[in-house]
Amino acid sequence: MPTATTTTFDRSTDLLERSHHLAALRQSLAAVRSTSRGRLLLVGGEAGVGKTALIRQFCDEQRRSVRILWGACDALFTPAPLGPLLDIAEPGGELEALVESGAKPHEVAAMLVRELRTRPTVFVLEDVHWADEATLDVLKLLGRRAETVPALIVASYRDDELDRAHPLRIVIGELAANAAIGRLKIAPLSPVGVAALAEPHGIDADDLFRKTAGNPFFVTEVLAAGEAEIPPTVQDAVLARAARLTRAARSLLEAVAVVSPKGEVWLLETIAADAIEHLDECVGSGVLIADAEGVRFRHELARLAVEGSVALNRRVALHRKALAALADPPTGEPDLARLAHHAEAAGDTDAVLRFAPAAAARAASLGAHRESAAQYARALRFGDRLSAAERANLLERRSRECYLTDQYDDGIAALEQALECRRALGDRVGEAEVHRRLSEFLWCPGRTAEAERAARDAVTLLERLPPGRELVRAYHNLGRLCGAAARSEEAIAWGGRALELAEQLEDAEGAAHALTFVSSVQGDYEQLEQSLERARRGGLAEQVGHISILLAAAAVESRRHPRASRYLEAGIVHCSEQGLELFRLYLHAHRARSELDQGRWSDAADSAASVLRVPRTSTTPRILSLVVLALVRARRGDPQVWPLLDEAWKLAEPTGELPRLAPVAAARAEAAWLEGRHGTIADATGATLDLALRRSASWRIGELACWRRRAGIREEIAAGAAEPYARQLAGEWARAAEEWSGLGCPYEAALALADSEDDDALRRALRELQRLGAAPAAALVARRLRQRGARGLPRGPRPATRKNPANLTARELEVLALIARGLRNAEIAERLFLAEKTVDHHVSAILRKLGVRTRGQASIEAARLGVVAQDR
Amino acid sequence: MPRYIVERTFPKRARLIGAGAADTHLAIVDRNADEGVTWIHSYVSDDRKKTFCVYDAPSPEAIRKTAARNELPVDRITQVRLLDPYFYT
Repeated sequence: MPTATTTTFDRSTDLLERSHHLAALRQSLAAVRSTSRGRLLLVGGEAGVGKTALIRQFCDEQRRSVRILWGACDALFTPAPLGPLLDIAEPGGELEALVESGAKPHEVAAMLVRELRTRPTVFVLEDVHWADEATLDVLKLLGRRAETVPALIVASYRDDELDRAHPLRIVIGELAANAAIGRLKIAPLSPVGVAALAEPHGIDADDLFRKTAGNPFFVTEVLAAGEAEIPPTVQDAVLARAARLTRAARSLLEAVAVVSPKGEVWLLETIAADAIEHLDECVGSGVLIADAEGVRFRHELARLAVEGSVALNRRVALHRKALAALADPPTGEPDLARLAHHAEAAGDTDAVLRFAPAAAARAASLGAHRESAAQYARALRFGDRLSAAERANLLERRSRECYLTDQYDDGIAALEQALECRRALGDRVGEAEVHRRLSEFLWCPGRTAEAERAARDAVTLLERLPPGRELVRAYHNLGRLCGAAARSEEAIAWGGRALELAEQLEDAEGAAHALTFVSSVQGDYEQLEQSLERARRGGLAEQVGHISILLAAAAVESRRHPRASRYLEAGIVHCSEQGLELFRLYLHAHRARSELDQGRWSDAADSAASVLRVPRTSTTPRILSLVVLALVRARRGDPQVWPLLDEAWKLAEPTGELPRLAPVAAARAEAAWLEGRHGTIADATGATLDLALRRSASWRIGELACWRRRAGIREEIAAGAAEPYARQLAGEWARAAEEWSGLGCPYEAALALADSEDDDALRRALRELQRLGAAPAAALVARRLRQRGARGLPRGPRPATRKNPANLTARELEVLALIARGLRNAEIAERLFLAEKTVDHHVSAILRKLGVRTRGQASIEAARLGVVAQDR
Repeated sequence: MPRYIVERTFPKRARLIGAGAADTHLAIVDRNADEGVTWIHSYVSDDRKKTFCVYDAPSPEAIRKTAARNELPVDRITQVRLLDPYFYT
């Protein structure tokens, strides 16, 4: 156990210059306790900056008044899924049972929410930059519901280790919009702080600061090592400190470093029996810390330094011993992820092939697909002597996990190898199945021609064999590719063949999917809604997500926004709960478009940005979102329009598919029109309009034809344009504007009015465009009016209205005015004839809307917003 | 991070200079930080009705969001790069 002196030493140093961080933590907890609304606090800082020490100190002082739950993520290449949640689960309790039974992240999150509701809690998740995918999903779901539980959720992470594609960065980005999220950044120590620490040791403070850059872990290691010369790197400092231990204690330290992340006492007794008696020496020196489960390094940086210093042959020997010991633990089930890790490090092929696929399957069942893909890759690295069938099996499983985590290139490579294996085996059905999956993979990043070839290969192969369910899937898949390209007739033909064969074979599932597909191509909402309901009742999570996308896309394209938002909201909730990330992105992209069309440009930009933040290769959501963001910018007259539209075109063009091409072509036409470059519009739209005509896609035809008309292109009016566009093309601008208004599309309505030759209509268009903040279009209309001799036009949009600051309701404004006068809730209740409880609710709503924490801050905001003056 | 010039026209004289301005400025800087927007500095016309403000921001949307929060008008946002006349001398 730690000696008293070490503890004091670590405390005093770690918590120097942290008083305002502690105060922020206390303040957050107080707010959670007084409102019973939880918060998620993200604590970021570089490695060794003292995140854990800070949080531990805070928890120690709060331990008496709230429950503390503490889970830590481990620095493993393939961490055990949901490991940190097992940390907090009571042994033998409900949560442990749930996690071990292979529950999905949303089920685990739901149980946590129920548990956190029972009493005030500080829930710590440490080092979430190492979290497995399932744990991140839980964190994300918990963050979204933080306000419903009386808990302060604290997640610490290394903010300097998140590259652009880091899964945690995506989670943080998604949570950022949530009001219940706070951030705390922990900076290194200042020169003054370092000097205060150096003084009692008689070390040159300037030199210490220069070498350590104020990193508290580095500083304490240097001071603990007590060398006259300051070690140049943190590794040297750690090793200098370890060098002061006895030889046997050092050897124990090495064993602990190898069996990361934690060294259970029973494990160390097995693999380092001769040194185990020196455990107290290691702990006493402060290098290791002891907890209920065993010992671990005070810091991962120290573990890495020691692990790196272990000679290779000794390291392999230790891994081998750990592998043997962990395969047969004294209690509980063996930890497969940990076994696979040691098996690889020990170079033990048999063990890798035994444990890695098992760990992969378990990770996948828990929704940790990234870890699963990595475990399959580990098995395949050792798979030289596997049979072709075994290899093909592993490759196909790996490809599925890659598919779910957007690693298309790796997934395609795996399938191509699997194809060779199936061919070598003469397994024609297996070969066809790989072709079909390959076509799904190739389609997502927009390699449509190759995708179609693969889909046809699958059909050709299977048609030569007796018909089976594989052929049903192959027909359906080929139909789906045609459908995605808006080639409706072919799509319906292949879908019909799938349906027919499925019925013949009494393949109920295949028939249901084929029917859903055919209805979606035919735009049969009723049939699709029935399919959706069936899938929901049957618990077919993926199918529910898929049908939601079909329904939402069709409703958005035909501008039925109320209907669209019904599908979108329900679908988004479903997909986030089920961890269907790619589907969720599709829905967000369609939502962005719907918001844009309804004139809600700020919302549209936010939705589009939330898709673009995720570095997915799948192109459809990205194309749609690029277009929406570009249009928001173009319509406002903001910069950086064309880089987005150029990227969108680059992604869409090689696919040759109308649903990807048409939005980009129309947006490029609009942006050019707003800039007065009419000459480029013919080229930007010509080929796509032809394609839309061939596909009889009425909304696409209308939109593209209207831009060509505005650009002054005289051509035969395109037949088959959707209604409001058809009116516009026929010159019936008033009817068109009315129809657009009826559909809830204010910008399109204003543009229809702007096509008119009537001064009143033009003035109405101008006012509406100014209200929307559509500066360039407003300028075009104003110019036309001036050319027609109009005078006294309203000038530009006014600055933000002061009537309703921060979207407060009339009642909330009244309450705020009284808060600003220093009245207490009871007094406010009396004055406004309200129950005190009602006033409490108003006050928390006001604080939330103003984005402040205290009544004092609210008063300052009130003064700034002029609320006080209004009341006097 | 991209740099922008934001042109603003105020209906009345801008309250950005003189007594009490420091608090307003600090509040603006605070609110900007939420969106990752940094206000570098501004040029103000003599009648104080027009300002040209230099910002570092992740996107034009972030500038508009903070402008709305700070109740500042936006006429035009232009992305710019620095051109230094003495660079080649």
